[in-house]
Amino acid sequence: MITKQILENIEGEASVHFKIKDGLVDFSTISFPHFRGIETILEGKNILDALVITPRVCGICGHAHLMATTRAIEDAYKNMGVDFSLSDKSKKIREFTLIMETIQNHFKWLYMVMMPEIAKLTTNEIPYKPLKGAFASSIASKAIAVFGGQWPHSSYMIPGGITCDPTNIDIIKAQSYVEELIEFFQKESLGIELEKFLSMQTCKEFNELDSDISILERALISADMQNKGFAYDRFLIMGEHNFTKASKVNHTRVFSVDSKYISVVNSYSPREITYAKNALYKDDYYETGSLARMMSISFPMVRNIHRRYKDSAYSRVMARVFEIGYLLNHSLKLLDNISISEDSIISLPDVKNLTSTGIGIVEAPRGPLIHKVEVEQGIIKNYTIITPTQFNIGSSTPTKLTPVQLSMKATTQKEALFIFRTFDVCSVCTTH
Amino acid sequence: MARISKEERKNSIISASLQLFSERGFYITTIPDIASKVGMSVGNFYNYFTSKDILAKELLLYIADYLGQEIKKINESNLTTEEKIYEIVSMYFNLAQKKPEMIEYFLRVYLSNREVFKDGCEGMVCVSSFVTEMMIFFDDGVSNGDLHSQDFFSAFGLFMGYLGGMVFLFGEKILPEPLENYKSSISLNIYNALKTR
Amino acid sequence: MPSKQDNKLKLLWLQGVTCNGNTHSFLNLQNIEQLLNKFEILYIPAFSTNYTIDKIVKCSLDCDILIFEGAYDPFMKRAGVNLKELLFHYMKDSKQIIALGSCASFGGVFKESAPDRITGLLFNENTLTTTFLDYKDKIINLSGCPIHPEWLAYVLNMLLKNINIELDDLYRPIELYSTLAHHGCTRNEYFEWKIDAKKFGLKEGCLFYKQGCRAPMTHSSCNKILWNDESSKTRVGTPCFGCTEPDFPRDNLFQTKTNMSIPQDIPVGVPKRSYLTMAGIAKTFHIKRLEGKLIDYKTDS
Repeated sequence: MITKQILENIEGEASVHFKIKDGLVDFSTISFPHFRGIETILEGKNILDALVITPRVCGICGHAHLMATTRAIEDAYKNMGVDFSLSDKSKKIREFTLIMETIQNHFKWLYMVMMPEIAKLTTNEIPYKPLKGAFASSIASKAIAVFGGQWPHSSYMIPGGITCDPTNIDIIKAQSYVEELIEFFQKESLGIELEKFLSMQTCKEFNELDSDISILERALISADMQNKGFAYDRFLIMGEHNFTKASKVNHTRVFSVDSKYISVVNSYSPREITYAKNALYKDDYYETGSLARMMSISFPMVRNIHRRYKDSAYSRVMARVFEIGYLLNHSLKLLDNISISEDSIISLPDVKNLTSTGIGIVEAPRGPLIHKVEVEQGIIKNYTIITPTQFNIGSSTPTKLTPVQLSMKATTQKEALFIFRTFDVCSVCTTH
Repeated sequence: MARISKEERKNSIISASLQLFSERGFYITTIPDIASKVGMSVGNFYNYFTSKDILAKELLLYIADYLGQEIKKINESNLTTEEKIYEIVSMYFNLAQKKPEMIEYFLRVYLSNREVFKDGCEGMVCVSSFVTEMMIFFDDGVSNGDLHSQDFFSAFGLFMGYLGGMVFLFGEKILPEPLENYKSSISLNIYNALKTR
Repeated sequence: MPSKQDNKLKLLWLQGVTCNGNTHSFLNLQNIEQLLNKFEILYIPAFSTNYTIDKIVKCSLDCDILIFEGAYDPFMKRAGVNLKELLFHYMKDSKQIIALGSCASFGGVFKESAPDRITGLLFNENTLTTTFLDYKDKIINLSGCPIHPEWLAYVLNMLLKNINIELDDLYRPIELYSTLAHHGCTRNEYFEWKIDAKKFGLKEGCLFYKQGCRAPMTHSSCNKILWNDESSKTRVGTPCFGCTEPDFPRDNLFQTKTNMSIPQDIPVGVPKRSYLTMAGIAKTFHIKRLEGKLIDYKTDS
C-alpha cells in the first residue's frame, strides 16, 4: 500500500510517499514540490549582490546563507592570490550572530514542531505553546540585530569583515540579550540552572525535573523513540567554527574531512516531481546537524546518550536541546573578549578585478551549508548551493537509503512522520 | 531726469568695477576709482558695498549666476548633448568677446586672488549656480547615454579648462583666427573626449 | 447565543513563492500571542492551527482576512491544488486581503526566476496586473523584504478597530510608507554635510554617495520603527537596498550609481538642481568633528 502525507509546519512544504507492509514503513520517498531558482537568479549579477539575495533563500536560516556567501567570496579572493586575514573582532561577531540564528531556529523547532508532534505519539499530557518558542527566538533575533541591524534578512557580513562598528554599549546589549535567553531557557524550558544542565551526566537526572524539557524527554521515552529512528550512526560536520569540529564521525571516531568529497545526485522520487537533490560525502550518506556537531566535540552528555541510544530519534532531539545550552554558554564567551578598537573590515581589491572560484561552508542550524561561486570580473558566472537538508532528507532508491529513509524504515507511519521531523526539515533551503 | 533706481546704481557699480579690475588689476583699483567712474561719492558707494572684498564676492556671484542662467537655458532645451556642448562653448566665447571683463574677472581675479575669497566664498559656494548647471549638463549627458561616466572634476576640468585656455590665448591676442572660428572644432574636441565609447 | 469565538475575524495565511521570511519576521512580534488571540486563526503555515492544509485546499471554508505571503506563480500548487483557484475562492468573501512582503506586493526577488510569469498579487513591479484586479479594493500591499512585524500588527489592529487604512498609489498604508528609510537614520548629519563613509565597517559617514544606500529614495519606516526593537541596516553600516520598492532587487546593491560623480538618483521629490546646489555648498565646508573618528579608543578594551 502506498500512502502520501503532506508535511506542514516545516519550512515550506514536502511530501512523503510511504510503502507500507504489514503496518510498517517498508520504503519511502520524499519530494519537495516547490522550486524557486535562486541559483539562476544570481547568474549575471554582481557577486556582492549575492550578499543580499542568498539570505532570501530561507526565512529561518538566511544568516547562515549570508555567511556562506561571504566565505565563498573571501575564498575566491584567496584563490586569486590575495592574502588577508579577518580581524578577530569581525570573526567573533560573525560567529556570535550565526549562533544566535541557530538558537532561534532550535527554539522554534522545539516548541512549534517537536512538542506538538510528540503529543501525537504519547498519552502523556504535552502543553501546546508554539509561540513560547517564537518569544525565545525573538530575543535571539534582537541579539543579531545589535550587530546585523535586523533579522531576518540582514546583509551585514561582507567580504573582509562586517559593516557594523560596535561600541561597548552594543556588546553589553548583546550580552544582556543572551542573559535574557539563558534566563528564559532555565526558567521556561529546563527548570534548572544552565550550568547544572550542561554538566548532567546521565539521563536519570531528567527524572528529577519538572519542565518542558523533562516533559519532552519523558514523552520521547514513552513513544519508544530511544529505540527508533536510527540512521547510519555516521555524521558529517563541514563548516569551520570554534563551536564545533569539521569532521566526519563514524560511531564515535572522529576523522578529518575535505569539501572535495562532497557530491550531489538526483533524487529518486517516482511518484511526484521533486526539485531536491541528494548530497553525499565520499559517495555515502551522512547525518548532519546538532547530533553530528555535539558528537564531533564529544560533548559528555550527548556522548552518554549516544552510548545508550545510538543515533535514535531520542538522541537526535536531545542533542539539539543540549546544543541550545552549549551554544548559549559559548556565545557569552565570544562576547567576553572582543577588542572593540580592531578594524571591522579589511579592505579587499575592487570586486571588478575578481576572477576566481570559491567555496564557502558554514554550519547552519541543520548542518553543512555549502555555497560555490564562479566569478568573472566581479560577475557571477555560476552559483551552486548545497543545503544540510539535502544530506539528511534525500530521497534515494531502496538499495542505498538516505539517513531519513533509513530512520523511518520499519516504524509505523505515524512514528515515521515524527522521526522525519527530528531532522528538522527545511524545504525552502532544499529547493533553493 | 528720471531717478535712477538703487538696483540700476548697483549694476552700474558692478559694470564699472569689472572694467577697472580687468584693465588695471584688482589690487591697484581703489574704491574712489570706482566711485568716480560711476559718478558717485565714496560715501554713497559704501551704501552699496561695505568693502572692496565684499564687492569682489558680489561680482563673482553675479558672473556665476549669469553663466548659470545661460547654461540652464541650454540644459532645458531639446538639443542633443553634442549640440548643447556647442551652445555652451558658443555662449562662453560670445561673452568673452562682448563682455571680456566678466570672463577676465573670473579667470584672473577669482582664480588668482583666492585669499580675497577665502571667507564666505570657500570652494564652490559663490560659483555654485554655474557649477550646478555644469553638473546637470554632465548628469543628463551620462543618463541619456551620450557621455561616459567618469570623475566629475576630470570632465569639468577638461571642459572649462579648455575654454579658459582659449579665452586666455584670445585675450593675449595670440590666436591667429577670430575666436568665432574655433567654436566648431573645440566643441567637437570636447564632445569626442567626453562621449560614450 | 453566539460565543465570542464566533465574532472573531477569521484569518487565513496562504503562501506563494516564498522564503518564509515574512512569517519569521512576524514571529518576532513581542505581543504576537495577544494579537492572534483576537482572531480566529484558520491556518498559519508556521505552526499547527485549527485546520490542516489538506482541509484548506478543499475550499469549503471562508475567511475574513486573507494574508498572502510570497510571489504569485499561476503554475503553482498548494497541496496539489492550483494556487489561483485557492486565491479566487478565499478572496471572494474576504473583507481584506494583505499582500505580505515585497514578493506578494510586487514580485520581489522570486519574480526574477521567471519574470514573464511570476508577479505580485496585484502588481507586477509597479504595474497593475489583471488576474485579481476585481479584488483590488480589498488589497493592501505591505511591501518589504521582509515586512517589519509591527507593520502587519498595525494593519491587523486597524482591521480589528474597523478604521479605514489610507493607502498610497502602490496600495501601501501611508502611515507606514509616507516616510523614507532615511528618516531617523543615525547617519543623517553626514548626509547633511555630504560626508561619505570612507569604507564599510565605520560608524562615521553616509552610505548614500558610494555604498549604494537607497534610504533617501525608499518609502518605509525602518529607522522610525526599529528592527527587532533594536536597530536598522543603516545604523549598522549596511546600505538600505530599497526592499520596500517595486524595483527591488536592483542591480549593484553595494554601489551608488553615479554620472560623472553625481548620484543618479537623489532624495524623493527633491529637484536635482536644488540638490546639487545644496550638496556643492555643503561639501565646501570642512566640519572637523564629522571628518574624524567619533571615538578614538586609546586603550584596547
